Amino acid sequence: MAQSFSAPRKRAASPRFRIDLMPYLFILPAVVIYVIFNLGPVLASFFLSFFRWDLLSPTTEFIGFKHYNFILNDDRFWNALSHNFIFLGLAVVIPVSMGLFLAVFIYEIRKGRVFFRAALFLPAIFSGVVIAYVWKWIYHPFAGVLNPTLELVGLGAFTQSWLGNPKIALYSTFIAYTWASFGYSMVIFLAGLQDISTDIFDAARVDGANFRQKLFYITIPCLYDVFTFVITLRIFTAMGVFGVIYILTGGGPFYASDVIDIYVFRMIGNYEMGWATAAATVNTVVVVFLSTGFIKYREWRSWSS
Amino acid sequence: MEFLNRSARRRLQGAPFYILLIFATVITLVPIIWVFASALKSNKEIRENPLALPGEWRFQNYLDAWFGASFDAYFFNSIFITVTSVALVLILSSLAAYSFAKMRFRGNQLLFFIFLFGMAFPLSAKLGPLLSLMYELNLANSRFGLILVYVAGSLPFAILMLRAFFQGFPQELEDSAALDGCSRFQFYLRILLPLSKPSLMALGIFVFMGTWNEFFQALLLINEDSKRTLPLGLTAFQDEYFTDFALSFAGINITAVPVIIVYIMFQRNLIEGITVGSLK
Repeated sequence: MAQSFSAPRKRAASPRFRIDLMPYLFILPAVVIYVIFNLGPVLASFFLSFFRWDLLSPTTEFIGFKHYNFILNDDRFWNALSHNFIFLGLAVVIPVSMGLFLAVFIYEIRKGRVFFRAALFLPAIFSGVVIAYVWKWIYHPFAGVLNPTLELVGLGAFTQSWLGNPKIALYSTFIAYTWASFGYSMVIFLAGLQDISTDIFDAARVDGANFRQKLFYITIPCLYDVFTFVITLRIFTAMGVFGVIYILTGGGPFYASDVIDIYVFRMIGNYEMGWATAAATVNTVVVVFLSTGFIKYREWRSWSS
Repeated sequence: MEFLNRSARRRLQGAPFYILLIFATVITLVPIIWVFASALKSNKEIRENPLALPGEWRFQNYLDAWFGASFDAYFFNSIFITVTSVALVLILSSLAAYSFAKMRFRGNQLLFFIFLFGMAFPLSAKLGPLLSLMYELNLANSRFGLILVYVAGSLPFAILMLRAFFQGFPQELEDSAALDGCSRFQFYLRILLPLSKPSLMALGIFVFMGTWNEFFQALLLINEDSKRTLPLGLTAFQDEYFTDFALSFAGINITAVPVIIVYIMFQRNLIEGITVGSLK
């Protein structure tokens, strides 16, 4: 690569250890803020999980895996983590396939593409807080809209306490999460579809392929890398879900919808920094393992086939 | 269908897709419309018939909600924090991305990897020490502190996106600028930034939305009512007025409307920011 901005030639004669500082100066401000307020705390969280410390006293004492021992023997930790996994299992199927189908429908029409894309993406622009309160009111026992609607259409038998029933609460929060996240999958799939050469679809039409054949033999294989990205995004959001559940149920009733980030937040609130950082570290390992493992698997599969 | 001409048949073929899309759009938007309608009703109307449209439009609910909490402070905080954060992210990330994309220096790859590293972690991975650090630096419970945290959180994605974009710039552009005696900083300021306006716009809107909506870190770091951002203020408001249905609905809308307005104005830029960043 030609470097037009490297130092002028006459400087080459000056001492060899003279280095060009400009590239570093351009990066410096970003590095400083990023390291102090993002990367530093992440690394500190990992190291401090092996120490006894709290928010206010600076004294620390190395205690090895003691915090991990507590976390890994805490039923509530596994309870919370298992809920993240339920979320993840549902999230890679439901919002992703909704997004795929809606993107395909939008791609198939001629007029109104921009309108439908914009309207269907709308819930995704809101804060988790707004989403949670919208659904809190939808689920509200008597001022809500869900139970009266069910009665109106003759499904009165299904009315229930959507956030108060421990068997259902987690799934009720998942519906709110889905409402706010299928739009992301949709716009990404749509952009991926628009990158596919129209020649392929034209050829398929000439050969008389129907909608289902086009979907399974052209669209989905062509969107291989897009799928990888969309699902990886779901891994991060499902393992890091917080605001929606925090407001809808607070993790309750009786921890029935507890997730890792709420567990960690509760630990921090109780000044149990050791347990909080240990739990966060375990969660980080799980997330990094899942996401990089998934991406590597997808790369390997596309390479080997 | 022989009596139909070609174009009419084409149009009919799309009909099932339109029906499905209209159905999906209605289901998606009904919750929002319902919240807006309910905010105009009286408590009695909501309790007795939650599904009905408002009998008489009570805009008074919005005024009551606005003055029922420090929404003016929440608005000011959200605008101040978000605008400052977006400006800082754009300046810092474009400087760094220019260096990463166009300059050769020792440690280029390594430093870039260190930034990428930050995107692999869930948010909770830094919260404990972050809280401790912010108390240590006297930046807890401070708008300025929250700005620094938001900027640090957005930088990895912003640098990744702009670096990919800057790499697409032809080398000749820099060469001819250099021949005209243009320094690297002048090139950045006078040529690179103006030519990158659409990308900076897309990135800016994307970061704006993320920052405006952020809740988890604000909840952790801010505990004074006068310093709350809108999402945080809404939770306080809802806790206080949970039994006053109409005011609760109005409060949700007060928080949602600015986002909807920004979305209507910059919808294309936002979606471009999401998809361009993801498909590269």
